[in-house]
Amino acid sequence: MNELSASSRITYRAVMVRPGVARRIRGLSDKTLAWLFITPTILLLLAINIFPLLWTIYLSFTNYRANRANVPTIWLGADWYRSILTDPDIWAAMQVTAHFVIWTVLIETVLGFGLAYLIDKKFRGHGMWTTIILLPMMLSPAVVGNFWTFLYQPQIGLFNYVVAFFTGRAASSFQMLGDVTLSPWAIVIVDAWMWTPYVMLICLAGLRSIPDYIYEAAEVDRATKWRQFWSITLPMALPFIMLAVLFRGIENFKMFDMVNLLTGGGPGSTTEVASITLKRAAFESWRTGYSSAFAIILFVTVFGLANIYVKALNRVKSR
Amino acid sequence: MTSATTAHSVVEPSATTRRFAGSLVILYAIITMIPLVWIMLTAFKSPDDAISYPPKVMFKPSLEGFCNLFTTRSRQTPEFIRSLGPPQGMCDEIARSRNMVVAGPSNYVPRFINSLIIAFGSTVLAVALGTLSAYGFSRFRVPLKDDLLFFILSTRMMPPIAVAIPIYLMYRTVGLSDTRLGMILLYTSVNVSLAVWLLKGFIDEIPREYEEAAMIDGYTRFQAFVKVVLPQATTGIAATAIFCLIFAWNEYAFAVLLTSGNAQTAPPFIPIIIGEGGQDWPAVAAGTTLFLVPIVVFTVLLRKHLLRGITFGAVRK
Amino acid sequence: MSLDVTPSVAHRGFTDRILRRGPLEAVATTIIAAGVVMLMQPFSLTLYSWSFATTLFGTVMFTIVSKVRE
Repeated sequence: MNELSASSRITYRAVMVRPGVARRIRGLSDKTLAWLFITPTILLLLAINIFPLLWTIYLSFTNYRANRANVPTIWLGADWYRSILTDPDIWAAMQVTAHFVIWTVLIETVLGFGLAYLIDKKFRGHGMWTTIILLPMMLSPAVVGNFWTFLYQPQIGLFNYVVAFFTGRAASSFQMLGDVTLSPWAIVIVDAWMWTPYVMLICLAGLRSIPDYIYEAAEVDRATKWRQFWSITLPMALPFIMLAVLFRGIENFKMFDMVNLLTGGGPGSTTEVASITLKRAAFESWRTGYSSAFAIILFVTVFGLANIYVKALNRVKSR
Repeated sequence: MTSATTAHSVVEPSATTRRFAGSLVILYAIITMIPLVWIMLTAFKSPDDAISYPPKVMFKPSLEGFCNLFTTRSRQTPEFIRSLGPPQGMCDEIARSRNMVVAGPSNYVPRFINSLIIAFGSTVLAVALGTLSAYGFSRFRVPLKDDLLFFILSTRMMPPIAVAIPIYLMYRTVGLSDTRLGMILLYTSVNVSLAVWLLKGFIDEIPREYEEAAMIDGYTRFQAFVKVVLPQATTGIAATAIFCLIFAWNEYAFAVLLTSGNAQTAPPFIPIIIGEGGQDWPAVAAGTTLFLVPIVVFTVLLRKHLLRGITFGAVRK
Repeated sequence: MSLDVTPSVAHRGFTDRILRRGPLEAVATTIIAAGVVMLMQPFSLTLYSWSFATTLFGTVMFTIVSKVRE
């Protein structure tokens, strides 16, 4: 409010100074300019995100199939939703997703926070080593997934060799990607390798936001380091940890690229996370209506979590 | 940062603590680098070295991986190869030693060029749109500002496969499927949300007084934006651009579902590089290495702004 | 954050005390979280079946509640 009236006062003065400029200003008031600046973005998002979303909602109530576009479309109501939400196979896919999300987020949070805590000790050269640690998260998840399949090769892969070296088992005695019990962990390991730095970076920001005087006061009160950690460091870094946990949770809930290249959902459907089930239904079985309904279910879940995420974001921002 | 008086403060960790923390972090950094270094080493191995057991750390460097990445080859009889003239270039020589001849260039270069065009095209668009909107949101009273900003952010959160279904149908209808323009528009729409949020943070930090002073001097609001705000926001715009570039460069889900040939980018292409009898690992590693090197460079350039980028501009330091 | 400094705390009714943005947002957040847990828990198919409705309700509630004045 204030800045607007201030600027219009300035504009007014400018008008007094130069009548030639005045016409241009009148032509482009702040309000017009604001809309002029914002509408292109909104229009693009409406065309490429919102319109398709509405279309998906419509399709989710029909029997439409993308590979049989000429078959007359029948309105089915909420049938697809009912069948997805009572389907034990989809429920199983959600549990595979849960396994993936819970373990990756847990490992990444513990490792990430630990690393951030150590880096916060500001040892010599911590800047360079931090940058090196950050590298994996900037890489393409698809390319990462692909080259990890090489590391996971049973006979020739480096991962199997290292595990064999330390455990004494034969390197070809286990298959990380082909084994029903191991493959869910294979995708967790790669995701943790890739995204621990992400959690680390946000936790580091949290630790650095704690002012020194609080620790100084604690020292004056003779609080032990252990006590300081539990009653100062952890509680004050918690909003940041929550932010990282929520974002990783959302991202891994919709994880597609890395898992698709590592296992493609297999063996069987042991690593078939929700997005892979969706891809199979939409682009392999071409059950467009059915997969639209599933997409909406996933979308609403992500959208709900995104609301919480933005709330967490604002809390961190006010720090 | 730490002034002389706080250098001996009670909260500063001791030298032993620092050394201990440092060695643990360095250990983690080394372990985390092994997979990356390994794939880059594999790019310079011969196919036999790449699949040897135990894995070879020392090996005779070979460019066969790169040759196989850039060319397609066909198997011929030794008699036929002998009947040909002298080999043309190094790759031909390597191929002939394996009873093959170079048949032509592979698809890697066109895919790489697609990646470049689509990444740069969408980055330029997203940053241009993002700068305008960010300025609008930062400086003007926009009705429903918070809702619009949330709406913009939530579009980035959507699961890519969920978006891909209707986009596939839409692009098929309007003829944008498997075109670079279609991919550029799609990546722009994903990146613009990040650009708006990041740039709003950067522009919020530029004092309004600068523009107001300029406007007292007779600039219009728009001139003040172009001549005062934009130069001040250069660093922010550059950082945002690199983030958009990296996203578009790395994207796989849309690329694999919506493109098949013409507009296919490198990420869906690299995994399907196959040689005779399974994946040609040195070639895959060579393709991966070439694809990842720009990202490594950009990450180093961007290191000061990474935190902002991954928190949509909310956490600054 | 939202410390109440108004002197008339004692006279405020139920609607003023409970139907404020903070607590309502917390309720909506809990409902969304419950919906997500229901979607992915391995124990009951019935809970799974109702997860979508729960998340949807929580999300709609969150959107409405965020318009309530502080």
